[in-house]
Amino acid sequence: MLLAGRNAVITGCNRGIGKRILTTFAENGSNIWACVRKPSDEFERYVKELSARCAIEIWPVYFDLKDAAQIKEAAKTIMSTKKKVDVLVNNAGITYNALFQMSTIDKMKEVFDVNFFAQMIFSQFIVKLMLRNKRGSIINIASSAGIDGNAGRSVYGASKAAIICATKAMSAELGGKGIRVNAIAPGITKTRMLSSMNEEIIQESVQASHLKRVGDPDEVAKACLFLASDMSSYVTGQTLRVDGGLG
Amino acid sequence: MLLKGKNVVVTGCLKGIGRATMELFARNGANIWACCQFQDTEFEESIDALQEQCGVWIVPVYFDLMEYDQVRASVKTILSAKQPVDVLVNIAGMTQDALFQMISMKQLEQIFQVNFFAQMLLTQYIVRAMLRRKAGSVINMSSISAIDGNPGQLSYSASKAALIGATKTLSAELAPSGIRVNAIAPGVIKTDMTKDLPDEKLDKLVDKSSLKRLGLAKEVANALLFLASDMSSYVTGQVLRVDGGIG
Repeated sequence: MLLAGRNAVITGCNRGIGKRILTTFAENGSNIWACVRKPSDEFERYVKELSARCAIEIWPVYFDLKDAAQIKEAAKTIMSTKKKVDVLVNNAGITYNALFQMSTIDKMKEVFDVNFFAQMIFSQFIVKLMLRNKRGSIINIASSAGIDGNAGRSVYGASKAAIICATKAMSAELGGKGIRVNAIAPGITKTRMLSSMNEEIIQESVQASHLKRVGDPDEVAKACLFLASDMSSYVTGQTLRVDGGLG
Repeated sequence: MLLKGKNVVVTGCLKGIGRATMELFARNGANIWACCQFQDTEFEESIDALQEQCGVWIVPVYFDLMEYDQVRASVKTILSAKQPVDVLVNIAGMTQDALFQMISMKQLEQIFQVNFFAQMLLTQYIVRAMLRRKAGSVINMSSISAIDGNPGQLSYSASKAALIGATKTLSAELAPSGIRVNAIAPGVIKTDMTKDLPDEKLDKLVDKSSLKRLGLAKEVANALLFLASDMSSYVTGQVLRVDGGIG
């Protein structure tokens, strides 16, 4: 129960890594604003079951990261509850695989809109809340592609590199106010995003990794739990690679 | 109880980070071979109290990292217990402050003997035992001065940098066999090692950090707990800075 009595905001909760972070945090006693793009019966049912099982509260929040007005509205909803926010996990994001010469400017802008600008605006709102308590932990889910720069990932990788740099700058600005900011760089992780990738490239990466296997969303969630909890109270400005040893 | 039923070897348990690690690991259910340089009554009494309180066993093991024969003999003691070793935490080390031009070769060899060669020797023996079960976690205690450099600490920082190289290489060699290898790079931690630093220098370092404070031994111990436990099952070959955001 590393997050007993804490309140966390997690984006992209409906599947993959986000859903696993939601579950792990709930199991560790955190109340959660579970942010997803669209309502669905399946998600509502899952959230209801999870909150009952863990005896915590989960408040679903719906908004599209492509729409600044919706982001602001969602932040207002969270603020209006007058509850403190202890943890923010910026997990939602989109992927894009294309060779550099084939990447269109429209797609580049879209990727940066969702993976970078939207995260920044949303974080600004949540940080405002955290500053009231002079305490908080922000975790940005980046990617090993944001450090290594892999073929076919110039745009996606660049958007994640931007998040990594923002993580460091935010840490320097907010550390003195009791807010820690870190990033996680997952490697090849078993999610739906992975199915968008070429099987050959996946196998190459698995072979390049020290552990010689694909990671599980649960393994990213556990690292996220570490960074969210007081276990990492002296860790800030870091990008933790959860990649089975790719770099 | 993140280490329930795990058997752990921790070096440098007498004081500081090692002591905090031993205590935290015991409270998390680990059995411990608590290694330190000298026999100490206060230490043995506190071990007795700790194992009773936590329901684990803690065996003191005494050896001097300057003496290979002592290292070998201690390993024999540990392995003769016929218990699996799940985790090795190489914490013991020494510091040395001297400007480059003033360092004698004898001093340089001495610090590498303690901070590097002896650690490698101990690790070889323990890894051999881990390989039989194809599982384990090894954590080396490096330092941010190994990454950033620090005037007046050439010998210390170079010896700690050698540990980082070893950590990455060992991870590549051993992770396919189920043994994860990581390092921690602490910043300025309130211990005996840093208590003699002039206030002016300490203030400067604290001011450089995002969190604007010194770290505590237990905060490093918590990061070690993360890397020792299954919480970090997909993390290997990494150097985790626990420095309050200096770099």
